Amino acid sequence: MLVYKIEDYVKEINRCLQCNFCLATCPVYKEDMVESSVARGRINLINAAMVEKTIPLSDRTRELINRCLLCTSCMQGCPSGIPVDDIIIAARHELFNKFGFGYVEKFVFRQVLNRRSVGTLATRAVSLLKKFNLFPGPVPPLASPPFEQRISGTVSPSGAVRARVAYFTGCGTNFLYPDTGEAVVKVLVENGFEVVIPPDQNCCGIPALAHGDQQAALEAIRGNAEIFASLDVDAVVTDCTSCGYMLKVKAAKVLPPGDPCRSQVSAVAGKVFEVTEYLAGLGLDKTPRPQSTRITYHVPCHRAWSRGLPEAPRNLVALVPGTELVEMRDPQGCCGAGGATFITHPGLSERIRSRKLDDILDTGAEIVMTQCPACRYYLTEGLKEKGGIRVVHPVSILAGSY
Amino acid sequence: MLPISGLLKDLRSLVDRGRVLGDVEDLLAYANDATHRQVIPAAVVIPESPAEVAAVLRYANEHRVPVVPRGAGSSLAGGATPSPGSIVLDLKRMNRIIEVDRKNLTAIVECGVVTQKFQETVESMGLFYPPDPQSMSVCTMGANVATRAGGPRGVKYGTTKDYVLGVEAVLPDGSVINYGGKSVKMSSGYDLARMFTGSEGTLGVITRVMVKLLTLPPCRRTMVAAFPELDPAAEAVSAIIAEGANPSCLEMLSQSSVMLIENYIPLGLPRDVEAFLLIEVDGHPAKVEEDCELITGVCRRHGVKEVRTARTEAEAERIWLARRALFPAVAHMAPNVLIEDATVPRSQVPAMVRAIGLIAQRNQVTIGVSGHVGDGNLHPGIMADKRNPELMERVDRAMAEIAREALRLSGTLSGEHGIGTIKAPFLEWEFGPEGVALMRRIKKAFDPNGIMNPGKIWPGSGGDAGV
Repeated sequence: MLVYKIEDYVKEINRCLQCNFCLATCPVYKEDMVESSVARGRINLINAAMVEKTIPLSDRTRELINRCLLCTSCMQGCPSGIPVDDIIIAARHELFNKFGFGYVEKFVFRQVLNRRSVGTLATRAVSLLKKFNLFPGPVPPLASPPFEQRISGTVSPSGAVRARVAYFTGCGTNFLYPDTGEAVVKVLVENGFEVVIPPDQNCCGIPALAHGDQQAALEAIRGNAEIFASLDVDAVVTDCTSCGYMLKVKAAKVLPPGDPCRSQVSAVAGKVFEVTEYLAGLGLDKTPRPQSTRITYHVPCHRAWSRGLPEAPRNLVALVPGTELVEMRDPQGCCGAGGATFITHPGLSERIRSRKLDDILDTGAEIVMTQCPACRYYLTEGLKEKGGIRVVHPVSILAGSY
Repeated sequence: MLPISGLLKDLRSLVDRGRVLGDVEDLLAYANDATHRQVIPAAVVIPESPAEVAAVLRYANEHRVPVVPRGAGSSLAGGATPSPGSIVLDLKRMNRIIEVDRKNLTAIVECGVVTQKFQETVESMGLFYPPDPQSMSVCTMGANVATRAGGPRGVKYGTTKDYVLGVEAVLPDGSVINYGGKSVKMSSGYDLARMFTGSEGTLGVITRVMVKLLTLPPCRRTMVAAFPELDPAAEAVSAIIAEGANPSCLEMLSQSSVMLIENYIPLGLPRDVEAFLLIEVDGHPAKVEEDCELITGVCRRHGVKEVRTARTEAEAERIWLARRALFPAVAHMAPNVLIEDATVPRSQVPAMVRAIGLIAQRNQVTIGVSGHVGDGNLHPGIMADKRNPELMERVDRAMAEIAREALRLSGTLSGEHGIGTIKAPFLEWEFGPEGVALMRRIKKAFDPNGIMNPGKIWPGSGGDAGV
């Protein structure tokens, strides 16, 4: 039994004040400038097509429901706190049930992201799919070997152990950016934390959930909950803000009532921290060496699940002597990546990104830091022809000073 | 009536295809404003120039198709609710700030400029555009003029109507009029800018607005006063102004409102009191200081339990953040909340507050009273549930009674939202049949075929019946 059903959101849909304040913050509206690209329009559409069924579930309905980045910008300014992303997810689940899925996506979610132990096989399979042009937009190159084949097991600090933390390794770090994973382990260990990296981790499940494949998300969540709940650790850290959002907030919502994994999922959720916030909160043991760099910070969209999250990377790099943080005009503005939106809607994503790139370039920074691997990839690609400003995870800056 | 397919085809010959929407999935997004009543229009056109507006109006006028101009679709009065079979004109792409004239303290903007963006722009130049409707993050300058929108600063600075120097507007026959300019004084002909100000889209389409600006006040202070009882708090409001203080905001929050806010943003306000006043004073530092002292004195004489002035910018910001949190807090209390806009002379605020209490009791509805009491503009929030027809009947009755009471106290139906559809049935109470008949004749002079936003300001379906 799956739970993200649109019927369960009727009350929330009806609670919408219809104030249209979501118009102010939606990055898709900024580009499209039609109200059907705004949360209020989408909610009214979902209500008409899926709840009251006064209009058919047309291709246009599908397109409008899929034309959302799930960035949650609308929710951050919403006076009545409507869970817009949950409503969109439920609607996409409905679409998934009705229309099924492209076999490419299904294969990626169910076979690649949830079966990492066959990592190399998956890597080969994805390259094959790319070769035959089976993705609508650009697909990032995969790192070889993936992170899980580089470091696993327990890594201990040389001195006293301040705390024992499990490291949840997201797909971004595992398949695209193992350097982030190596930096996370290095910085944690240098600061006296013992790091446990369990094998056979799954994807956090958020990509599958965002695309309506709730079953795949559920399998991912259950697998991870079993692994992480059994560990004797003080915290579960993640370097990815979207994985954190999933583990901390969304996972419990995906579980059906009375699911045997429920207690494990909430036990894990209670321990989840985004790694920079964890470090900034507990403080550094080891003083970073100076480095001279001009840095700007792109705040990922999935930031609202933990209060100190947007400030933590800023506070951490402030501890590195010689670094200068230059703020963008709109540090929180979406970069357009939107998970895999840049693959499914390349034109839309590019237009959103071009605003961000201008903002970045105007800071004169040499490095952009951000905790989201999708943002990192997408911004890196965008900056390639603009002087090659590097995009890294904030922990990598710290790691460079140890 | 024209077949829809023909309409879309014709519109697409006038305006770029991509800016004419005809699929029901897109039209749904334009089917309502913040009043919830949905009417799916026949088409949405998104013009980018007055010439395109003129082309669409000329066409609509010839074929007798109703036209509904639209800003952010955030009207609380139903002014932007589409008419059946109408063309909605989404004006948000005409969003350029044409000029900010520092020497003359004026600005020219296109109708779709977002109010907050405009404010930020002029403030970055040390200038000030005071009208502050609470929807200013999305609402647009043209629509603000069309509804005489305002906000908390109304008590000192007035509302949009007090800043309009001129307009450019397109009439239903496609002609474009320009009225007004940079002169502070103007005594030339009928004041057509005033005519369009508050016209709610019933006369034509405002495409450009010229407004006056002020210089940014150098100093700003925020105060909170907690009163054990509602009545003396309301009395203190009139006294503050009568004694010569000139607050830039003077808001009242009922105890239930404050409790709701405290749950969101704890300010440590006393909980055993009935009313709070939030006060902002701005201007020259010496005068601000003087006003703060005067206000403190008035509050003390009216039995205030606690009055404090925010020491820091951050503390003041926190208080206003709390005020803004009221809307969401109230929204959580019921499936729907109708925000009333009746306004009375300042001296009648205590009487109005008492009357609203009685109206709530009589109709067995819950009404939270808060609002911009300093200018008599109350915003009673009536708890409603649109799926419960029996309750909605009582809500409607309470709304009508509030309207009657405001008029009885020499007030007006609307302070800053406009009449739209929801107060249209009450218009005659305010102006009498003669007043409304004159307004209809004026409309007929501008819009002989009755295509412009029919059914707004006074009841009617549009076309000949609505004129």
